[in-house]
Amino acid sequence: MAKINGGHLVGKYLKEVENVEIVFGISGGHIEAVLDGFTEYKIRTIDVRHEQAAAMMAHAWSIYTGKPGVCFLTAGPGFANGLTGIANAYLDNAPLVVLCGRHPLRDDLKGALQEINQMDIVHPITKWAATCYDTKRIPEYLSIAFRYAVEGRPGPVFLELPPDILGVKIEESLAPMPKRTYRKYTVHPDDADLKAAADIINNAKQPLFLGGSGVRFSGNSEALGKFIEKSGVPFMLMNYGRGELPDNHPNSVMDMGNIGLMFGITQTDVLIAAGVRFNWLLQSGNIIPPNVKVVRIDIDPHEIDRNRIADAGLVGDVGSVLEQLTPFINKNDHSAWANTLKSAGRSLLDYELRIRETATDPIHPVRLVAQIQKVTGDDTVYVTDGGDTNYFGLAFSTKQKGGVIAAAAGLFGCLGTGIPFGMAAKLARPDKKVVVLNGDGSFGFNAMEFDTMVRHNIPIVVVINNDCAWGMIKHSQELSIGKDRLQCSELGVRHYEKVVEGLGGHGEFVTKDEEIIPALERAFASGKPACVNVMTDPTVTSPATPLFYQSLKME
Amino acid sequence: MRFSALLFILSQILRWAAKMKPAYRSYIGSIHQVKIMIKTADGKWGRLFIFDKGTVSSKSGANHPYDAAIVWSDAATGFKVMASKSDAEQFKAAAAGKMKLDGMAFFAQWFNDGVKLVL
Repeated sequence: MAKINGGHLVGKYLKEVENVEIVFGISGGHIEAVLDGFTEYKIRTIDVRHEQAAAMMAHAWSIYTGKPGVCFLTAGPGFANGLTGIANAYLDNAPLVVLCGRHPLRDDLKGALQEINQMDIVHPITKWAATCYDTKRIPEYLSIAFRYAVEGRPGPVFLELPPDILGVKIEESLAPMPKRTYRKYTVHPDDADLKAAADIINNAKQPLFLGGSGVRFSGNSEALGKFIEKSGVPFMLMNYGRGELPDNHPNSVMDMGNIGLMFGITQTDVLIAAGVRFNWLLQSGNIIPPNVKVVRIDIDPHEIDRNRIADAGLVGDVGSVLEQLTPFINKNDHSAWANTLKSAGRSLLDYELRIRETATDPIHPVRLVAQIQKVTGDDTVYVTDGGDTNYFGLAFSTKQKGGVIAAAAGLFGCLGTGIPFGMAAKLARPDKKVVVLNGDGSFGFNAMEFDTMVRHNIPIVVVINNDCAWGMIKHSQELSIGKDRLQCSELGVRHYEKVVEGLGGHGEFVTKDEEIIPALERAFASGKPACVNVMTDPTVTSPATPLFYQSLKME
Repeated sequence: MRFSALLFILSQILRWAAKMKPAYRSYIGSIHQVKIMIKTADGKWGRLFIFDKGTVSSKSGANHPYDAAIVWSDAATGFKVMASKSDAEQFKAAAAGKMKLDGMAFFAQWFNDGVKLVL
């Protein structure tokens, strides 16, 4: 009779049931049997230098591939290091599966190495969390974990695996692999609700469609395209939804930017918000004037009236709801209104549009983004990470799904996500160029992952928008307490590119406008993970800074 | 001329509101220093509004440094749209290329929202 240990059962389940190709983490004694399970079942492992990067990479893997991402953490500090990434995935509703070691059950309350109550810590930041106590139930627990991660509104799950069950061999027949069910749940909104929503949309004169991460998680850009084509509604896609339809789509008003959105939304008569939360980035709904009719589509019924009572609410997966809604929609043409939005956007962004075409000394971040785009085009995956840097990076144009992700601009505002997201993007789409635009502050959080990139041959290009500061914080302090009282917000001129060279990557240091493009070309040509450290104007403040600052203002 | 007078009157109203209207004082009170310029594209007419920890002051002329500017194609359009106090008119002007923003665009919106608290 064949025997198998718990660690190998983990590998077997991941490979044979979930078709997991790749996992992210760091080794550890408590999870040694799991690591051997990865070897046994030929699952690629990306071992990083800090567990938060592992969780963030697995999170990003789920975004770029549409499949759950898996990370493995060892007990105690490995677990604790991963928490930032898990919390970020929780607020982003990402289907992240965390497999975590723990101290032996045998040694509970004995002062075991890395003994800590992990479950009480992780419960508030996961959709589902459990400890498995029985080797033969490992496949069953994993099956539950994966189902929770992806079904309904996605989210991170956490499975604690004690060494007592991982290292024990059992008869393989005692732990059969559960059958993976791939049910396509379709929640059907009430026909009356569909008709009510369609009536509002059909009677709209100046509508706008705003799609968020739910559009990406739905993975049904075809339904979105058909709805947009038939309704004629201009659209903007945000968060992970960016790129589900290309930025250069005739109905896209992406180029009016956030400033254009801020002004334009006041002139719409109907806002169709799909898979997007009215959180602080949309001023908790206050950005939408009271007279605008709101149609909301969300997989979570609690979101429909959150921060704004919807005039029509459709609960369900964005793609399937749009499939059901589109037959009720009249063929319409809002191209004149779309052109008005675009024209207004150009006037409102006049300054940025001029700066894009102007060589300045010091380099303006807006110009830096424009120069990068000239080299890499719109078939590249862009990730931005920082405070002000996020705003500037959102000007990248893309036709890639999830092609411009401001990784640090989620609800968690989690700096440091850029490099892990960029690495995951390259692993998921190896034939595409990947550019991470990093602030110099945020670069520091996961800079050591250049070592991971070198070991695993993940050649992305990280461009540092180096303003020698925690720019958003510094400029907020300038607004609030004055330039003469800055506190903990300034960094200095640092040769981060040399750190990267020391780790085996390619480095470039740029101070002049004319150096940007040649440096980028050399970086890509090197075929190595590369860092292009660009000194930019430290006085430039993005419009996101006062928005951020105002959001924390107390009356 | 009417445009210039409108800007002057606006500056006086905002100065008054900063002293007398608690909601407006609170609105502008959190900003250490921001300079908003409203001017014509030819630089012939303009006024700088300076917000500093709850106070408002202003200077005439279009040639002062600023953080954000609302730039009108001409004085007549600037007067007409600003006097209408209409977001829709302002948006139409932007769509027609008759109103542009320069510098920190967010503060132009912040300025406009503040004016709405007063007028």
